[in-house]
Amino acid sequence: MTTVTLDAKDFKSEVHPDWCPGCGDFGVLNCLQRALAELGILQHQVAVISGIGCSSNLPGFINTYGMHTLHGRSLPNAQGFKLAHNDMHVIAVGGDGDGYGIGVGHLVHALRRNIDMSYLVMNNSIYGLTTGQTSPTSGEGMKTKSTPFGNPEAPLNPLTLALGSGASFVARAFSGNPKQAIEIYKAAIQHKGFALVDTFSPCVTFNKVNTAQFYRDNTYDLNAEGHDPSNLMKAMEVASRDTYGDRIATGIFYQSQRPCYEESEKDTLSTPIVDHILGISPERAAELIANFK
Amino acid sequence: MSNKNRVIVRIAGAAGDGIASTGEMLGKTCSRMGLHVLAYNSFQSAIRGGHVWLQMAIGPDQQNCHADQPELILLFNKTSPAVHVPDAKPGAIIFYNADTIKKEDIESIRSDVSFYGLSFKAMVDEAGLTGVAPIMINTMLSGALIQTIDLDVNIPLDIIKHRFTKKGQQVVDLNQAIFNLGANWVKGNVKSNFPKLVGSGNPKMFMTGNEALGLGLVAGGLKLYSAYPMSPATGILHYLATIAQKDKIVIKQVEDELAAMNMVVGAGTAGVRAATATASGGYCLMIEAVGLASMLETPAVCIVVSRGGPSTGVPTKQEQSDIDLAIAGNGDSPRFVLAPKTPEDCFYQAARALNMAEKYQIPVIVLSDFFLSEHFETIDNLDFSKVTIERGKFSTTWEGQGRYKRYEYTEDGVSHRVRPGAPGAMYVPCSDEHNEFGHVMSDVEAGLPHAREERIKMHAKRMRKMQTMIESGDVNPPTLEGETNAETTFMTWGSSHSFVQEAIDLLAAEGVKVNHLHFTDVYPIPREATLAQIKKCKRIISVEANMCNSMCKQLLAETAFEITEHINRWDGEPLTGEYIVREFKKLGSKKKELVNA
Repeated sequence: MTTVTLDAKDFKSEVHPDWCPGCGDFGVLNCLQRALAELGILQHQVAVISGIGCSSNLPGFINTYGMHTLHGRSLPNAQGFKLAHNDMHVIAVGGDGDGYGIGVGHLVHALRRNIDMSYLVMNNSIYGLTTGQTSPTSGEGMKTKSTPFGNPEAPLNPLTLALGSGASFVARAFSGNPKQAIEIYKAAIQHKGFALVDTFSPCVTFNKVNTAQFYRDNTYDLNAEGHDPSNLMKAMEVASRDTYGDRIATGIFYQSQRPCYEESEKDTLSTPIVDHILGISPERAAELIANFK
Repeated sequence: MSNKNRVIVRIAGAAGDGIASTGEMLGKTCSRMGLHVLAYNSFQSAIRGGHVWLQMAIGPDQQNCHADQPELILLFNKTSPAVHVPDAKPGAIIFYNADTIKKEDIESIRSDVSFYGLSFKAMVDEAGLTGVAPIMINTMLSGALIQTIDLDVNIPLDIIKHRFTKKGQQVVDLNQAIFNLGANWVKGNVKSNFPKLVGSGNPKMFMTGNEALGLGLVAGGLKLYSAYPMSPATGILHYLATIAQKDKIVIKQVEDELAAMNMVVGAGTAGVRAATATASGGYCLMIEAVGLASMLETPAVCIVVSRGGPSTGVPTKQEQSDIDLAIAGNGDSPRFVLAPKTPEDCFYQAARALNMAEKYQIPVIVLSDFFLSEHFETIDNLDFSKVTIERGKFSTTWEGQGRYKRYEYTEDGVSHRVRPGAPGAMYVPCSDEHNEFGHVMSDVEAGLPHAREERIKMHAKRMRKMQTMIESGDVNPPTLEGETNAETTFMTWGSSHSFVQEAIDLLAAEGVKVNHLHFTDVYPIPREATLAQIKKCKRIISVEANMCNSMCKQLLAETAFEITEHINRWDGEPLTGEYIVREFKKLGSKKKELVNA
């Protein structure tokens, strides 16, 4: 068997990203391409599946399989895809509006279901594609087009939400720190189970609060400070303390070895169901008929 | 077909009285004897405390209707007499639980029927049986019922044996003794003159429409089924869950209908046959994802089991008012909508839906309804060999030249689909308008001349599949059954077929000739072939279980032909032959001119 050496550019599609110059999503795309190349995963073995939003355009810019679906519905599409073809690497991507707003119901259940896939949320605390409204992670008091007098709602904490929903892998990256992001993405892709990576991916056009400079000034690497990712209570504590404010933790918060969903259907999924022969044998048909007599 | 040579049985009581198991025993006894049974279950959306009843038509011929007037009745609780005795056919035999229903409360209601009160307590005590639970009264009354119509009692005794073997021989013996208590009492005390029902001797299947839909999906190569529970569609999930492991099918109960349908689209895109089912309101939540399947050209099957609407409506009652819903979506969105007519048809149409979905790379909506999905019926053996699996333009590898075009422009509108995972063919199906490669055309390029041109071509390509379906003969015009020169034609779709057959038989017995125009495929409608059938009819009356003539509107929209006389029912109970005949007579004999035909 020959080993193929891959480069990030092997994952570049022929479509040039239409994001605003300086958008944090460029960093996420580059880091994901680098992570896949470094892991030696071939292009056709990957499906990148998104919802709707600026960041959900990402599957068009990466040379893999994928889907670009509906607003908020990347996760059910991605889970259906993964269950159907479980020898492919499935990576759901999208923004904070897509994942924590309209699609948050799916997120909670995807976390507890724990199908072996990754979910990269490009979190910019604003609705960009709709030209700048408040998002579920916009800070209290933040002025946006839909909250000209300040956002009256408290922001959602995606990490504590995930930890409380049975997550088996929870991490946070920052697109302005590619070295750390690549390592986190690689760990997420290799994790056996559902891996959520919240990534700060600043919007240069509509969010003047959560800028790249803001995150450069206020983030720290919790793993470098000796955080133990196997400790759920500690992860909860750090996630609730260091998410908003001027000391924000990045890194892998939590990782457990909880069996992934596929383990519960070993018999059915031992070979991907896309490869199964369709229909049933005459003997089995006779048995099914007999059950109704 | 004969309506005379049959018996109509009704069993009624409180939810929890064992109505279902009594009905199952009777139904299975008949189906094993090779008799035909059609059983309609009337229940409420309550787990305990509701009043439920089951009505069964039993005879040697195909039964099309549970009929209006029962002639053999079993009543379990105090609520029963006032509800059911008035419905009885004159001369009917009524057994009742004398421990709960007072003789003076029931026998004073009518004098033209025969009442038999059985005290379970007294009879069990007299027979010296011990270890008896009150619920076992349903076994005793089953014995009475089965003996009254003189069926083969060895079959229910065998059913009891199988049902209780796990609990030990003592339990089997006790239940058989209780059954015999009822049967023997009838021998000595009841005079009946029901027709002797002689079965073919070949055991038949006895199943619901929901089970048949599930079985049809399995026969058709289903590999993934995701659903959210909602009456009256949940029976499909329940049935599939029991067999999934053995047949290696992934069954997922998910968080909501949005997830259910989107999961089907994800799995379908990956390359498996996937389906979901829901009821009317649940389908409202799925519509966006059905449009996604249209846009991605992903095969997907969704079964919609109708109940009364709008909103939560009438969850456990009959209605056929969701054609508009099944066709609805944002924008022009290719799809195929079909409506099976019987449980047997459910089996074949579910498998056909999977084929149509893959062949045309579209969502297929199967419209069932409460009656069709929830009622039990005997079926002659389903023929699995009639089910073929046609995957259309599909391959698991890509060996073509150049860059693979997932949405290549073709004459028939269908592009070759390479299964994701194949080396060299990477593509990303996209819910935005796209070009042949699947690249988004609706963002920065939207409105530019080449994007407008591409929009026209791609949208036309998708919609062309609707025409291809018709031209290739994969979509059928309505059938015209019965008398060729009938003065009147009843028009139906889906499950109303059976009731109208019953009505036509009843009218034939009175010398009135009516034939039957029936739609199984409701969208798209092949215009020319449909009008050709309509031209053969003199006076068309629609018969639908709804208020606003769903199918008539659809026919008008697709063919410009308008039906102006209607028989409707929307009180929640299914149509019956007698109901249709009554309504037909109310319409009078005036013949309206056909418009546009």
